[in-house]
Amino acid sequence: MKLLQAMMVALIAAVFCTALVAYQRTADWGYQPEQSNVKAEFAWSRLSYTSNMESRGYGGFGFGRGATWARDYPKADRQFLIALNRLTRVQGRPTEQVVNLDSDDIFNYPWVYAVQVQTWSFTDEEAKRLREYLLKGGFLMVDDFHGTADWENFMNGMRQVFPDRPVEDLENKDEIFHVLYDMDDRFQVPGEQYIRTGRTYEKDGYVAKWRAIRDDHGRIIVAICHNMHLGDAWEWADDPEYPEQFASMAFRVGLNYIVYGMTH
Amino acid sequence: MFEFFFRYPIPVFTKGRFILLGTWPGWVLLLLIVVAASLLGWLIRSRLPEAAPRMRTWRAVVVWMLQSLFVTLVLLLLWQPAITVAELNSQQNMIAVLVDDSRSMAIADSGSDRKTAREAAAVKALNDGILAGLQRRFQTRVYRLDGGLSRIAKIEEVQPAGAATHINDGLKQLVADTADLPLGAIVLLSDGAENRGGIDLDTISALRNRRLPVHTIGFGREHADHDVEMDDVSVAPRAMADSRMKATVNFHQHGYAGKTTVLAVRDGDKLLTSKEVTLGEDGTIQTETVFFDAGAASVKSIQFSLNPLGGEENNVNNATARLVSVSGDKRRILYVEGEPRWEYKFIRRAAEDDQEIQVVSMLRTTENKIYRQGISDPSELADGFPAKAEDLFRYDGIIIGSVEAGYFTPRQQELLREFVDQRGGGLLFLGGRFALADGGWGASSVTELLPTFLPNGKNTFHRDPATAQLTPAGAESAVTRLVDDPVKNIERWKKLPYMMDYQDAGTPKPGATVLAEMNTSRERLPLLVTQNYGRGRTAVMATSGTWRWQMSQALGDPTHDMFWQQLLRWVAADSPGRVVASMPVQRLMDDGHVRLTATVRDKEYVPAPDARVVAHIIGPESSSALVDLIPVPDSAGTFQTEWTADKPGQYVAELTAGRGTDELGRDVLTFERTDAVAENFHTEQNRELLEKLSSQTGGRYWNTDELNRLPNEISYSEAGISVRDTKELWNMPIVFLLLLGLISGEWLLRRKWGVI
Repeated sequence: MKLLQAMMVALIAAVFCTALVAYQRTADWGYQPEQSNVKAEFAWSRLSYTSNMESRGYGGFGFGRGATWARDYPKADRQFLIALNRLTRVQGRPTEQVVNLDSDDIFNYPWVYAVQVQTWSFTDEEAKRLREYLLKGGFLMVDDFHGTADWENFMNGMRQVFPDRPVEDLENKDEIFHVLYDMDDRFQVPGEQYIRTGRTYEKDGYVAKWRAIRDDHGRIIVAICHNMHLGDAWEWADDPEYPEQFASMAFRVGLNYIVYGMTH
Repeated sequence: MFEFFFRYPIPVFTKGRFILLGTWPGWVLLLLIVVAASLLGWLIRSRLPEAAPRMRTWRAVVVWMLQSLFVTLVLLLLWQPAITVAELNSQQNMIAVLVDDSRSMAIADSGSDRKTAREAAAVKALNDGILAGLQRRFQTRVYRLDGGLSRIAKIEEVQPAGAATHINDGLKQLVADTADLPLGAIVLLSDGAENRGGIDLDTISALRNRRLPVHTIGFGREHADHDVEMDDVSVAPRAMADSRMKATVNFHQHGYAGKTTVLAVRDGDKLLTSKEVTLGEDGTIQTETVFFDAGAASVKSIQFSLNPLGGEENNVNNATARLVSVSGDKRRILYVEGEPRWEYKFIRRAAEDDQEIQVVSMLRTTENKIYRQGISDPSELADGFPAKAEDLFRYDGIIIGSVEAGYFTPRQQELLREFVDQRGGGLLFLGGRFALADGGWGASSVTELLPTFLPNGKNTFHRDPATAQLTPAGAESAVTRLVDDPVKNIERWKKLPYMMDYQDAGTPKPGATVLAEMNTSRERLPLLVTQNYGRGRTAVMATSGTWRWQMSQALGDPTHDMFWQQLLRWVAADSPGRVVASMPVQRLMDDGHVRLTATVRDKEYVPAPDARVVAHIIGPESSSALVDLIPVPDSAGTFQTEWTADKPGQYVAELTAGRGTDELGRDVLTFERTDAVAENFHTEQNRELLEKLSSQTGGRYWNTDELNRLPNEISYSEAGISVRDTKELWNMPIVFLLLLGLISGEWLLRRKWGVI
């Protein structure tokens, strides 16, 4: 009898945990970051997408939660916006904007940032919308995915958007590295795990890859930051244990990419 | 009939001067007339109480008037009225007979049967008595008039084969050639089809100075029964490559009112555009507007034609051509932007798709950094906004974005004014949080350049949605044309996505043109305002939110880029170079005489009267010539020369200006000489021109059925050797008839009223 009761408790616990995970994957936790009504020229836009890796969770808000589109959200975004407003003449909105590919609202935000893109997946309609967004003049910066497997998963989604456009490695002389700061000496920017492990890489992503997809005029429309975690660097820039040179490099990259996206 | 009553021909009265031969002064006559009329009035009034009741009404006034007129006429005759008129001395004067022998005189629409050639009708009229009548009293010289004027021995030498009719030049030449001869009058037999449009004032003045009357005799119908004719085409002679051009085509027709035909524009064999047109009323000038692409850089002969209709009498006059010089030179626009923003990006992207526009931009990315794009070399704009005229004037246009007036030094602000006023450049102000009134431009010296009176104060820029709509002026403007049809263009603009922001640019200045307005949640404000200023142009585009037209419309929608490319071309296309060449007409009809003019300015666009200007002209069959241009007195920096294009064909003239060893600049002109084309147009008799010519010179327009009077009446002229003859008027039959009529009229009226 006791065994039966124990089994029942275990079963109920298992069902509860399963429901909890499922709820976490699909539902709003009820936490909404504080928003601002300030109108500005530039809105930091973070792409919300459907993840294809259920085990990694979905839909989580909060600082440092799982490997989803919301990774480092919203602290990374807001710390970056502080730097943007302080260091450039870009009028940036103090708070971020979450955009998705389910509606045409994304066309009001010509610069968008996406993380953990090895988990993204698109319906045909979403892929078409992202393709049109980029070809009309939108700019996409992707960050925080590491190693060979992540690259392949990222490219699975990217091939839905651009089946034929090549991905190329950027050279130092490329305009995107000089539009605001001259960035010939770039290095790998690790995530917060560097504080605990001392490693600048994750998985098998030992070397930072600065890559891009261009439009027919040669303008970069997708800036790919592979094997690095700039978002974490922005998020942990105020942590005394996180090295300043990584945070500085991350800010300079982000600022260059925004100014490039607003000029090309 | 006239001479039966008045004894003398009409010219005696039209050209003569009325005089009184009596020895008593004229005022005595007037006094006596007044006294006599008054006495008669007093007499009639004093007798009214005794008169029959019927006479106490208006009838008494009638009687008084008839009696007064009778007395007046008698008194006038006592003063011996006469007319003095100049008359040519017999056998001492010469009459010039000019016979138009251009090709249009071969048209068979004259004579009583309307099937005789004009030339034949003219020859017949001369042979039927005019020439003989003239020769009885004068020496006559017969001239052939077409593209030139030449004397002929016999009238039979006239053949309607001349490729052109230049009446104006012919008359001018005749006046010059006969300066030493007693020329008494000119007789012109023509259809009036002057190929150059009219008789100029110089020629009229020359004729009037010698008091030479021109008697004109018109031949030919005054309009065809069935014909469509191209009158004129107005199109810019220069254009940038791949630009959208507008042409205004004027034509008229007879006999096809309400019918439709096709107006086509061609470059060689290539059809550029076509448009179906419904023909208007007979004889009415109809105007149609067509748009077409200029295409690649070259000199093009653009042909405008109306498809011939069935039964047309003349198909050749359905088409005409215009030379258009399409330039491939890139226009450079300096774009100064005070902050990174989307409008900047999307304007640049639009300009990148226009091969003829190069936007050189300087963008303030941080407080101390300027990011330059589109520069030609690393030194360009390295020191920021140019501080010297010769550096700034290298650009054809300037765009001022979201940047404060205070960013520019007073000298730079003055350079902006000189850029528009003196250099002739285009200046465009965009909306933005540091632009227009919010940027302090209203308090700057540049405010006079703006096409609007900026509002006082700040906070005029709002990040709220606004929709655009065209004004009537914008519906047809080349700047705002998204669709050729103005009505559809207005509708297209209404469908544009809303703009992200707007700015109150104030009220338009007098003379400014509002091309587009915007509807905000509160009010309607001007969106795009343009105006001419000095030699250049300025405009305000009071938003920085048109980028949504690109992002929020379907992929591939050309609206945003098309609008900005057109606006950028408006900013830069008409900015003149340092050397500007011009000529009155680029299509020379049967005459190669050209006058080339060049205005030359130095690197700071100040007139350069000390320049040396040379024209290198290349013509057909590889002919070429070098011609020096001479400074024009009282017009600093202007140079001119006269030259003659001997052969028909296209000519290219490159005008180069230099000062010492420095070249100041160069410009290219194209022109074309066409022979035997003009004669196919305006083939109807231009009676208006002939009547005007004769009336302005004291002559007369003659119908062919009254030519028998010409030899007599032509003698009343003050030209040549003439005497002033006095002709008494008292013995004119009309005088006696009048006296008799007044007396008998009164008597008859009295009988009728029963008061005799």
